[in-house]
Amino acid sequence: MNMTQGTGPGSTRPASSVRVVIVDDHAIFRSGLKADLDASIHVVGEAATVEQAIAVIAGQRPDVVLLDVHLPGGLGGGGREVIAGSAALLSTTRFLALSVSDAAEDVVAVIRAGARGYVTKTISGAEITDAVHRVAGGDAVFSPRLAGFVLDAFGTAPADIADDELDKLSARELEVMRLIARGYSYKEVAKELFISIKTVETHVSAVLRKLQLSSRHELTKWAAERRLL
Amino acid sequence: MTTLPVRPPLARSSDRVIAGVCSGLAAHLGWPVRNVRLAMVLAAFAGGAGLVFYAWLWIMVPTADEAARRSARRPASPIAPAVSQPGQGQAVQAPSPQRTAPDAGTAAGGNGKAPDGEAAPPPWFRAGGMRYGKEILLGCGLLLVAGIMVAQMLGVDVSLGTLIPAAAVLSGASIAWMQLDETRRAGLVDKTKADQAGGWGRLAAGLALVVAGVLVMVSGSGSWEQTWLALLASVAVLGGVVLVLLPWALKFWRDLEAERSGRIRETERAEIAAHLHDSVLQTLALIQRRAGNEHDVVRLARAQERELRGWLFQDPGRESGQLSARVKAAAAEVEDLLGNAVEVVTVGDAAMTEANEALVQAAREAMLNASRHGGGTVSVYLEASDGQTEIFIKDRGPGFELGEVPADRLGVRESIIGRMKRHGGSAAILSTADGTEVRLRLPAAAEHWEGKT
Repeated sequence: MNMTQGTGPGSTRPASSVRVVIVDDHAIFRSGLKADLDASIHVVGEAATVEQAIAVIAGQRPDVVLLDVHLPGGLGGGGREVIAGSAALLSTTRFLALSVSDAAEDVVAVIRAGARGYVTKTISGAEITDAVHRVAGGDAVFSPRLAGFVLDAFGTAPADIADDELDKLSARELEVMRLIARGYSYKEVAKELFISIKTVETHVSAVLRKLQLSSRHELTKWAAERRLL
Repeated sequence: MTTLPVRPPLARSSDRVIAGVCSGLAAHLGWPVRNVRLAMVLAAFAGGAGLVFYAWLWIMVPTADEAARRSARRPASPIAPAVSQPGQGQAVQAPSPQRTAPDAGTAAGGNGKAPDGEAAPPPWFRAGGMRYGKEILLGCGLLLVAGIMVAQMLGVDVSLGTLIPAAAVLSGASIAWMQLDETRRAGLVDKTKADQAGGWGRLAAGLALVVAGVLVMVSGSGSWEQTWLALLASVAVLGGVVLVLLPWALKFWRDLEAERSGRIRETERAEIAAHLHDSVLQTLALIQRRAGNEHDVVRLARAQERELRGWLFQDPGRESGQLSARVKAAAAEVEDLLGNAVEVVTVGDAAMTEANEALVQAAREAMLNASRHGGGTVSVYLEASDGQTEIFIKDRGPGFELGEVPADRLGVRESIIGRMKRHGGSAAILSTADGTEVRLRLPAAAEHWEGKT
């Protein structure tokens, strides 16, 4: 699961600038976020509705889209619909979901649509900058809360060999998810488990893939039942 | 005589044959119900005195429900229902006085109904209106009796042919009215509860009696042919009237329903507005006044966010007494106290036990330490599975030297490590330059062991 392209991921973040489109229906939040992001990130476009977002993303072809989960317009699908509408660009444009709702249903829906990560809107500018670089480098960004969702949805027992690999997390992936849920950074996870950061990123990407591709019907059911965590 | 209605303990019981007068009276006087009923029947043959007395009590004495509701407005209410019906052999007194009587009513006559639905009209209004109506009714009844008596004294022969149909009409109306007793009326309006077989049976019986009485009175000495014709004509007229009025009645009913749902929506809106006013607007005002102090602003915003989130997304299906809810509450408390954000992630959940309570207390202590010494966001992770429950509390402070502050260490040792050990769990504290993590672990076996002792 190596998703690197050009500049390598890992501990040394690429200093090259990342082109970003911000999609959020609150102008105040968009301008605040723009001011918070560091100089290595260029905001090339903004959008407030589903239709605007799809048009701007198609026109700008950014590296990363910061996407609010809840958006007006379209068919009411919000962020999920934007990703579906930009499906052709999914190989070059990465989506990072931003949410204030915390509802597992929304977050899991947008991840399964193709977003590479999920962060809450309350995180700091430095953290979000870091997350944007990480996503631009092809990695997945898991907040503690998303890791908690994953653990809750997949269960905390490691996979048997007989199980379908998509429906369960391996023992190592579980360990990584647990540490992220406990508030560990990737670097700290690597240190704790005596593995490289790259390996941690590989595990997280694998979990993300399972989250997106697993046909487990329980996953959707679970998310629908759990309105909030 | 007028002192009767003002004696509070006297109430018509729900354990009734006709209107619960006898059993209510028996309960009031402390006599066996059977004796009171026998006396009433005997008195009825003594020139109808019993009947008059019964009717009098029926009209003047409130039902047990009504009495309970009336006295419920006064502070010393819980005793009243117990006083009003001690002789009913009700071994178990239901905790709520409003529920006792209808439950007994269900057993007795199949016409009990939940009284909760009738809380809509203010009881004082209702009781007041009924009182007035009852006095008029009583007056009319007495005047009627007096009129008959005077007529008989004047030598006018009051024929049985007139009296019997009149009595039939009256008793039919009474039976029908029993349906409309204070406790029944709301049930009839609330159509979902009106379809009880007993209730309909009584209504039908009452109607039949009234119709028969009216027919006999109207037809008088006329032939059966005439009676049938009259009956046919009346039914035809009634049918026509129903046909004409039905659309109006339906429209009226729908308007009523629409108005009611509109009112419910309005109430909901008002509640939301009130809540936003009390919480969000006040907080925003506070934030504006404290705009200079970043720490305060963040704290206010966090607290308000938490409160609003809880109000908006509170899942009624999840029990609030669960472990995860307790941990979140402890985190919120620490957040309010010290101002640093405490992020809680939970996986799984467990019911509260004594050992889990200790776990929450230890976690709270650890959160306080982390927030106080770490000085930044505190991450809390709770994982509850079948085998064990774990809580991790992590901060990103400078970490503390184990030999740094003996007094503080004692506190940590006592309230975190010691507490966990006492309840069969364990605690570990790992401190590095990057931060401190407290790991609390409680095996499920310890909980069971705790529960058995």
